[in-house]
Amino acid sequence: MSTAELTQFDIDRTRGDFRYDIKHEFDAGTGLTHETIDYIVNVKGEPDWIREWRHKALDVFLSKPMPTHWASKDLENIVFGNIRYYLAGGQKASRSWDEVPEDMKRTFERLGIPEQERKFLAGVEAQFDSEAVYSNIKKAVGEQGVIFCGSTEGLIKHPEIFRKWFGKVIPTGDNKFSALNSAVFSGGSFIYVPPGVKVKHPLQAYFRINAENFGQFERTLIIADEGSEVMYMEGCTAPKFETATLHSAVVELVALKGAKIQYVTVQNWSANVFNLVTKRALAHEEAEVKWIDCNIGSRLTMKYPGVVLKGRKARGEVVSIALANDGQHQDTGAKMIHAADETTSNIVSKSISIGKGRATYRGLVHVPKHLKGCKNNTECDALLINSTSRTDTYPAITVRGTGNSCQHEASVSQISAEQIFYMQQRGLTEAQAMSLSVNGFVNDLVRQFPMEYSVELKRLIDLEMEGSVG
Amino acid sequence: MMTSVLEPMTDTPAAPTRLLSAGPAAPGQEAAWTQFTKIPMPTRTDERWRFANVKDLDLSSYLPPAPVDEAVREALLVRSRGLEKSAGRMVFANDQLLTREAYSEELSRIGVIWLPLEQAMIEHPNLFQQYFMREEAILGGQKFATLHASQVRTGTFLFVPRGVEINLPIEAFHWLHGDNASCFPHTLIMAQDMAKVTFIDYYESADAEAPGLACGVNDLWLGAGASVTYVCAQNWSSKALAFQINATVVGRDARARSLFAQLGARHLRTESVSHLRAQGGRSDMLALTVADAAQEIDARTFQIHEAPNTSSDLLYKNSLDDTARTIFSGLIRVNPVAHQTDAYQKVRNLLLSDEAEANSAPGLEIEADNVRCTHGATSGQIEQEELFYLMSRGISKRAAQKLIVHGFLQEVIARLEEPAIGARLTEMVQAKFAAHA
Amino acid sequence: MNSLKIENLHVRIGEKEIIRGLTLEIPKGEVHAVMGPNGSGKSTLSKAIGGHPDYTVTQGDVLLDGESILGLEPDERARKGLFLAFQYPMEIPGVSNANFLRASLNARQPEGEEIEATDFYEKLYEEMDKLEMRREFTARAVNEGFSGGEKKRNEILQMAILKPKYAILDETDSGLDIDALKIVSAGVNAQRGSQTGMLVITHYQRLLDYIVPDVVHVMVDGRIVRTGPKELALELEDKGYDFIKDDLAGAA
Repeated sequence: MSTAELTQFDIDRTRGDFRYDIKHEFDAGTGLTHETIDYIVNVKGEPDWIREWRHKALDVFLSKPMPTHWASKDLENIVFGNIRYYLAGGQKASRSWDEVPEDMKRTFERLGIPEQERKFLAGVEAQFDSEAVYSNIKKAVGEQGVIFCGSTEGLIKHPEIFRKWFGKVIPTGDNKFSALNSAVFSGGSFIYVPPGVKVKHPLQAYFRINAENFGQFERTLIIADEGSEVMYMEGCTAPKFETATLHSAVVELVALKGAKIQYVTVQNWSANVFNLVTKRALAHEEAEVKWIDCNIGSRLTMKYPGVVLKGRKARGEVVSIALANDGQHQDTGAKMIHAADETTSNIVSKSISIGKGRATYRGLVHVPKHLKGCKNNTECDALLINSTSRTDTYPAITVRGTGNSCQHEASVSQISAEQIFYMQQRGLTEAQAMSLSVNGFVNDLVRQFPMEYSVELKRLIDLEMEGSVG
Repeated sequence: MMTSVLEPMTDTPAAPTRLLSAGPAAPGQEAAWTQFTKIPMPTRTDERWRFANVKDLDLSSYLPPAPVDEAVREALLVRSRGLEKSAGRMVFANDQLLTREAYSEELSRIGVIWLPLEQAMIEHPNLFQQYFMREEAILGGQKFATLHASQVRTGTFLFVPRGVEINLPIEAFHWLHGDNASCFPHTLIMAQDMAKVTFIDYYESADAEAPGLACGVNDLWLGAGASVTYVCAQNWSSKALAFQINATVVGRDARARSLFAQLGARHLRTESVSHLRAQGGRSDMLALTVADAAQEIDARTFQIHEAPNTSSDLLYKNSLDDTARTIFSGLIRVNPVAHQTDAYQKVRNLLLSDEAEANSAPGLEIEADNVRCTHGATSGQIEQEELFYLMSRGISKRAAQKLIVHGFLQEVIARLEEPAIGARLTEMVQAKFAAHA
Repeated sequence: MNSLKIENLHVRIGEKEIIRGLTLEIPKGEVHAVMGPNGSGKSTLSKAIGGHPDYTVTQGDVLLDGESILGLEPDERARKGLFLAFQYPMEIPGVSNANFLRASLNARQPEGEEIEATDFYEKLYEEMDKLEMRREFTARAVNEGFSGGEKKRNEILQMAILKPKYAILDETDSGLDIDALKIVSAGVNAQRGSQTGMLVITHYQRLLDYIVPDVVHVMVDGRIVRTGPKELALELEDKGYDFIKDDLAGAA
């Protein structure tokens, strides 16, 4: 076996760029109306409360304007009428890869998912277009009472936990795209970790878009009960299509007293995907939530993971890496809402703009009245590779009262010609020198990723740097 | 006393015409008035007005500027206290020129034009055309810029020709007098190549408690190698609504320095834009704010690097007490051509009360190469250790706090490198501390 | 053939000609010094030979073992065996010394082959010990936060690991106190030998007390104006550069 085949995470863009021609049994057709919603509810066999909930959400979606008064005008290029909102084969998610339809199974094999599952994961869910085709949790983990299944299964089988938190962290009307997701969501994970249970290995979801003119709207809800710990990782790919594809997820995390959740994303959508995702966590007393977010793919990503620090001494963290190449706009950031005393938050964001790429950081830090001992620290660093690259930073910080402290620092830098010459003089090519510098720039953040991801990340960065010089 | 038979006698004076129904100040200002009436009032959802209490901006109760009588004139002239040494001063009240006094021969040097605005408009129509309000208000205050353009009656017009250096500062005092009075101070400074000048505007209300409206514009134009230092010491009444819109255009190798000391006003909105228009230009943008009671001080800034090798450095410091609110929203923009830009932006908020609120939104938009840009925003309070140290030396808590705030603001004043002006500003800051129980 | 040969070199920065017809040959196994006053073009010479993009060669040639290197990229020249010890070594944030050196060494291996980690560290530690460098240094970012002396030691360490055929040491003594100067010089001397040619560029004679050259060249206004044995350096120290300039003026 060569070293290349040993690499665990084969999700670079070229490797994701393939597709099988799959005819879906269930197809809601193009366009979005109230009939689309009834179709989805009927196919999924969902209860009436969710039908009503979805219809209401659609009304909210239709009533809300595009946020183009602050966001990119590129949003106007999404034609909602041309998108297919639900595509699925009708089968239940299998517990065994052998039962997964052949082409879908081959897709995930090419992406290396079953192999990773064997090596270091506690559970895997693999979503193909609108529904999960595989969902399994290691027996030992299941026996601890951990629930890990799709959102539909979650709302049908575990309504008592699901309904308590669903839509509570991110209300339907939070923004236009959270409303869209609320109307047509399908797939995603539902996770419940019982009190005191520490899930040793990560749970992983893999999202695959295979169909053209399609929108993927997974919905994830993770509840870590008191004193529990869990790490969730997600990856995603899609083949390159001529037309724009939409991915609009909603992810809600609830960390109850003393719980810890780590949520790791390596986003590597192909460059035609609009990736408009709402992610937020609710951290109760002494809970810790950490979003590790890495955006390499997509045409336009708009994603600002947030933590509402609701309980005393809760802690929120966002670690973010964005890489914007030609034709890409990575509009990412973080939100930290302090709502209790002695809550702390930390945001570290690094972005790299290459070629004509554009990276934007938007941040929101809010420390309301009468809180004591709250701290926020924000650091944003941007690296520009070419003279055509662009970077923006737009933080907004509100602090009320004494006894709290917020610090924000941002910098923009380049790799200087002198640095490159110095490294070339030691025998490295310009591209090698560039890669080394870029990896150096993100190195301290990459180290915070789980080992399996950090290796892959470095490789992805090298790949993006090739051909970026000159 | 004679009464004209043609004028009917009335016991009660007619209700005064409000500003909003008065129309433009003069026929030439009709276009601006039309624009003003067409532009809607700002709304909260406008990004450029984010955080601001836009409901504070109601203009309906104010009256157009009315002349002051002789007794008021005398009193205000006495109260117009600036620096010990200056090259000259003009004093205005309710947009009426009270006096113009030149103390220095420098001002009569060939070519320096230092006139009330309305006189310059007639005597130097070309210069006026070329520079008067030529940069559009781009930070959201276009409505108030057009209001100003439709109402402005006077102000300072200062043209310093090539190579002329005016060593002593020139001063202007703008007074607002009477309840619900309004004024529209204007300052236009043009420094030609290698010219140098320092200028101070003092904004004051005759009655520190009277409601009023002030809507000022100050534009600075710097030719190649010119150096302009501009200071605005704003101390409107604690019930005034105030707007201040600035554009600074910096030419090749020129150096602009501006400092806004914000002490007064119930609600103040300032917009300050530096255009780094040619190679080697530099702009230092400074501000200090002492906000207390229910003051809202809303500052928007823009550092636009339009040419290579330019630099800008912004430092805004706010001290906030009681229920005061401050907003700082600033953007550094580096255009694609502006390689080798150095741009810095720092805002620091010192919160002295549990009810105070500081909003910071420092922004960067970078599209060029070899750029060094950083920004930072901090919000915090006086460190207990620091306070304790001073108190252990026998200083009361209140005095120690004031000392620390004073030190906090001093960094901004020091950056001006003008000791006499710095001393005057420090005095004004101290006076505000003293007035605060 | 076995030499670094500079022939009638003319170099411009922008519109300004800095090197104006310089000829010099450093045979393998010899150490040559180039001395010259400030502004004589010494640093330009090293950057131009290294292939820095800001320096334009308008005339002449640079031959490494008989082969012209002027058409090559800086990294290609380095892989041919050329090494520059920089006067102001660059800081490279986030990239550790060990990684940087390994990447540089791997760039010299045939396609697809890499240096064994154990061999690499064994060699690295050996050379570091000679330069009295502490082990934790390997994990620090290249030159970031280094003192002047540490930076220069790092340059010499890189040279020791990369084993160039020809090394150009640009003002290696600048920023060094006497103790650091001795350590760095010892590091350089250890690398002298029949397989290496060195060009030591310096303003002051004191470096040459520790790195004793075989030949001394004096450079003024972009040309070599005098060449002689190592005693020439002492003469320069004694009389200053003016005596050469006066000489030249007299000759003109």
